[in-house]
Amino acid sequence: MKIAITRHLRGLQNPIIWQGALGLVSFFVIWQLARTIGWMVIAPTPLEVLANIPKQMAQEGYWFSWLASTGRVFGGFFLAAAFAIVLGIAMGTTRKFRQAGFPILEILRPIPPLAWLPLAILFWPKAEMTMVFLTFMGAFFPIFINVLSGIDAIDVRYVQAARSLGAGPATLFWRILAPGALPSLFTGLTIAIGITWEVVIAAEMASGNHGLGYLTWNAYMSNSLVGIVIGMLSIGVAGMISSGLMSWLGRHAMPWRRP
Amino acid sequence: MNEPVIMDNVDNASVAPTSGALHEYDARLARSADWPVFAPGIGGRIGRFMLSDQCRYGLLGFAVFFGLWYLFTAIIIPPRFNFIPNPLSLFGEWISERPKFGVSIFTPEYYQHIWVSTARAYGAFALSVLLGAPLGILLGWNRTARNLVYPIVELLRPIPPLAWVPLAVLLIPTTEMAVIFVTLLASFFATVLNTLLGVTSIHEAYFRAAACLGYNRWQVLIRVVLPGAAPFIFTGLQIAMGVAWFSLVGGEMIAGRSGLGYLIFDGYTQLALPNIFIGMITLGVLGFVSSAIIRRVGNWLMAWQTKGGQA
Repeated sequence: MKIAITRHLRGLQNPIIWQGALGLVSFFVIWQLARTIGWMVIAPTPLEVLANIPKQMAQEGYWFSWLASTGRVFGGFFLAAAFAIVLGIAMGTTRKFRQAGFPILEILRPIPPLAWLPLAILFWPKAEMTMVFLTFMGAFFPIFINVLSGIDAIDVRYVQAARSLGAGPATLFWRILAPGALPSLFTGLTIAIGITWEVVIAAEMASGNHGLGYLTWNAYMSNSLVGIVIGMLSIGVAGMISSGLMSWLGRHAMPWRRP
Repeated sequence: MNEPVIMDNVDNASVAPTSGALHEYDARLARSADWPVFAPGIGGRIGRFMLSDQCRYGLLGFAVFFGLWYLFTAIIIPPRFNFIPNPLSLFGEWISERPKFGVSIFTPEYYQHIWVSTARAYGAFALSVLLGAPLGILLGWNRTARNLVYPIVELLRPIPPLAWVPLAVLLIPTTEMAVIFVTLLASFFATVLNTLLGVTSIHEAYFRAAACLGYNRWQVLIRVVLPGAAPFIFTGLQIAMGVAWFSLVGGEMIAGRSGLGYLIFDGYTQLALPNIFIGMITLGVLGFVSSAIIRRVGNWLMAWQTKGGQA
């Protein structure tokens, strides 16, 4: 017990902790005061937001929104990851295929994923498919590019050494290519999961019928600023959990890179 | 300069000069990286590119892509493909003087949309660099500032910029400013975090050396911090430009009254399919050109970073 208390006190001595806490507290105090002074009169204060969290979470469809958005994000994300990894490996290892396919992907890549929204709505028969297609478009290119650059970054001498030791294609893949490209792949996955959340939110705002983006948009339509802020916070938490999941996966897939 | 790695551009499988292929091996050696050959003029370079595998296969890829597009929209039309314009009619619409849906390279509206979107994207980008880079340097350089501010950045960063749209529209008086705010937000975090990362990645020894040489704070900033962080800053700027365009399109679709994002969404509500495609392709080109400009500027400013020896 005593040790625990001392540990807490020592934690307070650590400048990272107390200064960080100070920064956060002053952020909320300024937010609260801004309203008292008379700035941003329509914005809710942090206390109001806090007080309304239980009510908002109890509202009908709140948890269903979580479920709907998460399903869309991960549906598109896993599809994109599967396609991007296969295509990335194929283009990373076959020069002719890469020369033929890469320029096409390079002209499609700069088109922002959200620009596909109207086309996707018209093309796909179901709203759910539209959403998954958009998250797919958002996630595909970062993963693909990172797989490709991961393969490119593998030192040729590793391949040559493995070959001269008599490695076949399977060994080459599992021993050289996969471990060499994994760090870059996980960078791509982490970027992609962030983009998919962003895409899903915007698509739900523009067209959707459920989901966290729609929840926030609905709050906007009914002029409930507290609802908007809580919607934003929920989206932030969801994004944070997802990227936390990615880095956890990365640490477990690449034990040799653990600090 | 690194050791010249002559194997880079050569097939790994057949590097060793075998009896008959000696001549060809020499030729390949001369073509490979870092080998002192006379740089061909622009005509020579274009000619060589036209003959290369890269050009042939690239053209093949494009031919297959557009061929499939034409096949599925003009010859055999599967269900749900019927509304997609085929590439020829799309291109015809794009360059026609009297377009059916009101947007082509001859109509002022087209340039109006391009101008509005470009101005917004670059305006927001410039603002985010002006605000984000100094903040990133401050956070990277000063430990107290980092401890105080970094948790707030981390608290706000996971919220996607487009989730701010409703709040921005309600709190910010004009729609124009709300769209720019959302665009700014996206590129701001990319700039701050990469600059911060760049400054913290500078080796401690440089700061000590600078201190030994009696540099003051200002000189340390100019001579150590800025050049040391520059590669990361430029990576951040490229990311920032990409997300700026991305968020701009989202903002224009949800809340805009003009711009290319609006053109696309308007094409959807009016069922003017060619306009959707024109908007998308134009956005792609603009995004590509923007990041190419940043790459160029970065390479030019950081000549010490770019690999030498252009053959």
